Amino acid sequence: MYKFVECIDAGSEYCPCHLAEKGECIICSQLQNKVFCDCLYWKGTCIYEELLKNGNKAKKTRQYKKCDIIAIEKIRDDLLIYDIRVSNSLLRELDNIGAYVFLKSPNFPDYFGTPISIMDINYEQQSIKLLIKIHGIKTKDIKDCNEKIMVKGPYWNGIQGQRFLRNLKDKSVLILGRGVAAAPGVLVTRRLTLNNNKIIALLDKGRSDKNICTDYYTKYGAEVNNLSIINYKDKTLTDDFKKYIKDILEKENIDVVLAAGDDEFNSLIINYIHVRRTDICFASVNNSIMCCGEGICGSCIVKLSGKEIRSCKQQYNPLEYYYVEDGK
Amino acid sequence: MMNVVVIGGGWAGCAAAIQAKKCGADVLLIERTDMLLGLGNVGGIMRNNGRYTAAEELIALGADDLFNIIDRCTRHKSIEFPGHKHADLYDVTIIEAHVRRYILDMGIRVLFETRVVDVDVEDKKIKAVFLDSGTRIDGDVFIETTGSTGPMGNCIRYGKGCSMCILRCPAYGPRISISQRAGVEDILGMRDDGVFGAMSGSCKLDKDSLSKEIRDELNTKGVYITDVPQEDINPEKLKMKVCQQYALKEFAEKIILLDTGHAKLMTSYYPLEKLRKLKGFENVRFIDPYAGGKANSIRYLSMAPRNDTMKVIGLDNLYVGGEKSGLFVGHTEAIVTGTLAGYNAVRSLMGLNGIELPVSLCTGDIIKYENETKRKKDGLKKRYTFAGSEYFERMKKLNLYTTDKEIINKKVEALMIKDIFKQKLI
Repeated sequence: MYKFVECIDAGSEYCPCHLAEKGECIICSQLQNKVFCDCLYWKGTCIYEELLKNGNKAKKTRQYKKCDIIAIEKIRDDLLIYDIRVSNSLLRELDNIGAYVFLKSPNFPDYFGTPISIMDINYEQQSIKLLIKIHGIKTKDIKDCNEKIMVKGPYWNGIQGQRFLRNLKDKSVLILGRGVAAAPGVLVTRRLTLNNNKIIALLDKGRSDKNICTDYYTKYGAEVNNLSIINYKDKTLTDDFKKYIKDILEKENIDVVLAAGDDEFNSLIINYIHVRRTDICFASVNNSIMCCGEGICGSCIVKLSGKEIRSCKQQYNPLEYYYVEDGK
Repeated sequence: MMNVVVIGGGWAGCAAAIQAKKCGADVLLIERTDMLLGLGNVGGIMRNNGRYTAAEELIALGADDLFNIIDRCTRHKSIEFPGHKHADLYDVTIIEAHVRRYILDMGIRVLFETRVVDVDVEDKKIKAVFLDSGTRIDGDVFIETTGSTGPMGNCIRYGKGCSMCILRCPAYGPRISISQRAGVEDILGMRDDGVFGAMSGSCKLDKDSLSKEIRDELNTKGVYITDVPQEDINPEKLKMKVCQQYALKEFAEKIILLDTGHAKLMTSYYPLEKLRKLKGFENVRFIDPYAGGKANSIRYLSMAPRNDTMKVIGLDNLYVGGEKSGLFVGHTEAIVTGTLAGYNAVRSLMGLNGIELPVSLCTGDIIKYENETKRKKDGLKKRYTFAGSEYFERMKKLNLYTTDKEIINKKVEALMIKDIFKQKLI
């Protein structure tokens, strides 16, 4: 199978990063202690040259900035939508597929930072909208923020398999989402409908009593259906879902499927669809645990074909990641 | 379906694709940029010294296609400049379109602006190549003619950085060594000082930026020669040069311009301020590389080990031509090696052994000689070209050099290989 070699930060203002400085660049062979070019992923700039021109030093990394909280919408005790005002430049940078930021309260050290995907962008209000599930120390720390919050960004690797979504035009994309994990799909819908792509979203409300994201998907022109997709008791796909997929694969010419759930969900639906239609490409939300977002701490590392992938900034092929031999 | 995939559309790749097509194969040519011919778009010199013999040998062998096009695009016939006799200069500003039309008219499929980044290898056989989009392209036999020049990182490490040459790596992405991806380690050429790689040997000036007097002389005679000011003579620069046939003392002490449509300046690079001090050069500017005042591209960084049928050693179905196949300099050399690679690639599809060209022809001798000499001490510091330096001396010594077409024809006929490259194999 074709191996992805792709760093989401390559060619950005944050490249070369500390990995390059230490001879661990994800892309550049010259910066992996080799002495020849073997550039498998070209984004228009030579990382080796950029590092030399920068005095063999990494570019400045992203920094936390104190931002105003405009509004907090309480869906449930443990489910909140934050509206946060950010600078115009950060806003523009976050208006991209897979965008996320690190959030933390102003009172605690950097290791309290936790990655949260951007659900929506509001240029008039100059704000980002994030759906946050409170379930641990870091998110409880965020819940305590009412006026000010620390924001670090932009990061872009919240969606894996971005090459299948990038430059898509006049195509059909099926988004299968569940609960909070469906939030990054809203931004995907926003970007893709700009290029005349048809978005069909099938959303499972998860443990909530309603689908929080439905209105946002609809706002950007997605055709939304609400359905129970997965039985968590026995980890199987529901009959309703199977029937729906059969119909939609017959009726629509689906090019890409975005799996926007937890790992079990993503694995089940990707394998189910792949055995029926091998020509469909897959993107997925990135469920890795992340602490630094810069490829340093190693908490986001996943192993694929014996290779370590720093999934906070490195792309992989979701089909390869979730693939199981028997296809289920 | 017999399927030949050629990776890299320079002179060698074009020659290989044409030859494979003539043999009856279904041919796909994959080119990284929007133009064929690669560095041939800024070359232009044909038939100088021993290249004349080589060109006529190939024509007698039946590989006349590209030479016919080149002859049609020639601006100056049989000119002389220091160390070089009976050179033809083709017009680099029109040649690509002519070759491109010919290739497309033959029914060769060409993918432009498409970069190959990886291979699928099984049991020493390449099954498919992958494009940077992830698309898989299956093939029965592959020919790699991706050259050995650049990309940017190599031009930085072994040279003075990217000088924005015709290869346009920043725009289309860097060259990838397919053989190395398939597990066969590349061989690197060296300079006199032991540093890897060598710098391209000429650059192009915008002819319109030169004085009318120089322009007129170039347009009528094809050559313009003037002295380098005493204080600017730098023989050290010759050592860096790829083209040992042009690394003569005269090329350090003289400014030599050739009319190839642009004004070809026979030195790797030349600081613009110094160049403009010369009479008639007051307004001069570079056209290739765009930063020709600073540096030039670095070459010979990516050669695959091969046998004399042009098959890569260590892989069953990968053939090579041009600079990828050795320390060859020039278009004629690329066309010779590319043609043989194309021919033998199709033979291997038919289950036939590859042929070697006879050493009684310079085209056969150079392929064998380069392969042997490259392995000896200092062999990686040498360059191999019909046009000069050590190999041209060898041609003269072995009586391989002649400009008599009759002699060449008779020789080829006596070897029973007249028009061998015109045979359909499939």
